[in-house]
Amino acid sequence: MKPSLMERVKETTVGRSIWRVPARDTPREKAEAHWSNFFLHLYPVKMPQKEIEFRYTWYLGVISLTLFGSLVVSGIYLMFFYVPSPTTAYGNIQFLQTQVPFGQFMRNVHRWSAHLMVLAVMAHMAKVFYKGAYKKPREFNWVVGVVLLLLTFFLSFTGYLLPWDQLAYWAITVGTSLAAWVPFIGDQVSQLLLGGNQVSSATLLRFYVLHVALLPTVLVFGIVIHLWRWRKDSTLDSGGELDG
Amino acid sequence: MADDPQIVEGQRVLGVVPGLPAVGTQKVPERQKLVFTWPNLTVRHAVAALAVILLVLVISLVFNAPLKEIANPAVTPNPEKAPWYFVGLQELLALLHPMIAGVLLPGLLVGGLMILPYIDRNPSRKSKCRKVAIWLFSLFLGAWIVATIIGFAFRGADWGWVWPWIEWHGEL
Repeated sequence: MKPSLMERVKETTVGRSIWRVPARDTPREKAEAHWSNFFLHLYPVKMPQKEIEFRYTWYLGVISLTLFGSLVVSGIYLMFFYVPSPTTAYGNIQFLQTQVPFGQFMRNVHRWSAHLMVLAVMAHMAKVFYKGAYKKPREFNWVVGVVLLLLTFFLSFTGYLLPWDQLAYWAITVGTSLAAWVPFIGDQVSQLLLGGNQVSSATLLRFYVLHVALLPTVLVFGIVIHLWRWRKDSTLDSGGELDG
Repeated sequence: MADDPQIVEGQRVLGVVPGLPAVGTQKVPERQKLVFTWPNLTVRHAVAALAVILLVLVISLVFNAPLKEIANPAVTPNPEKAPWYFVGLQELLALLHPMIAGVLLPGLLVGGLMILPYIDRNPSRKSKCRKVAIWLFSLFLGAWIVATIIGFAFRGADWGWVWPWIEWHGEL
């Protein structure tokens, strides 16, 4: 058979330097190609057939990750038009919705992806529980997952304030007032979150920095660990019995 | 009874030892069928991701994100609601002492989730062997979902009971 254009490109000096393993015919070549690919290194080379099927995971992990990707893309777009100050924030959102090309649409994508991501991450956790997939040797990856769930909540919560409308202002007022019930350090926790006694310009700035810089960085770091451990444990036989 | 020892050319059997193998009698789990993740899993993941992106695009074309009047510390809306994933907590606060609903329960829930794999030492992953764990988890999950739905849709002014098809107070 005549080699396709892609196959011929892969055979060139440049092609070989990029793909390294031009053919993927034998199992050995397939495994080699897998290891030499940056994107595929997130995946184990082989997995049990049972665990790649829809009914085993409902793909909730990859769904959560996709929604996070959608949030990063739309969020960066929104950042170009937003200044975190009570005098500007609300006007920025109005301007975004009425004057900026795709502004309203991108805001919609960001908002609905955020709600869906909270749902997806919670569903992912429930599915992992019911499959018993947190058991040995994956105990610690479950703990990382719980931390990722909390980070997702907190990311959504900090983003909720940014439009600086009545909905945002009072939802955050109620939400942060829950922190005041923490024994002994409740007042300090609430002061730390709000940067004062009530939701103010200091709160807006704090939530903004948490939302666009600190929390996403920590979340990405956590996801990397979560996926790395997932890959490492994927081809291992856990030794436990599985539901058919 | 095991198969008869094979006589291989150039070798001879010195003897057959009766009894159990020295490594013990543990059942070796049947080797699971392994498949390449490329393309078997990557294709499935790509389809799932595309389906999610399509869903988000369609929802975003049909529904606009809410934007109310500009924030005004002087005008408190009634009811005041937390974001939907915290209204379950808010509902509990209305029912129970704040110390219990606001601190003890959420703390126990988060702490319990964190250490779950270390409490549940049952090695089986079959649901019929994990009845207690599944019942307990489902109980908490169910209670949390019910509290969230009540707080989100069934609460109106002064956190009083409303029917969502008559008065709507849920905000996303």
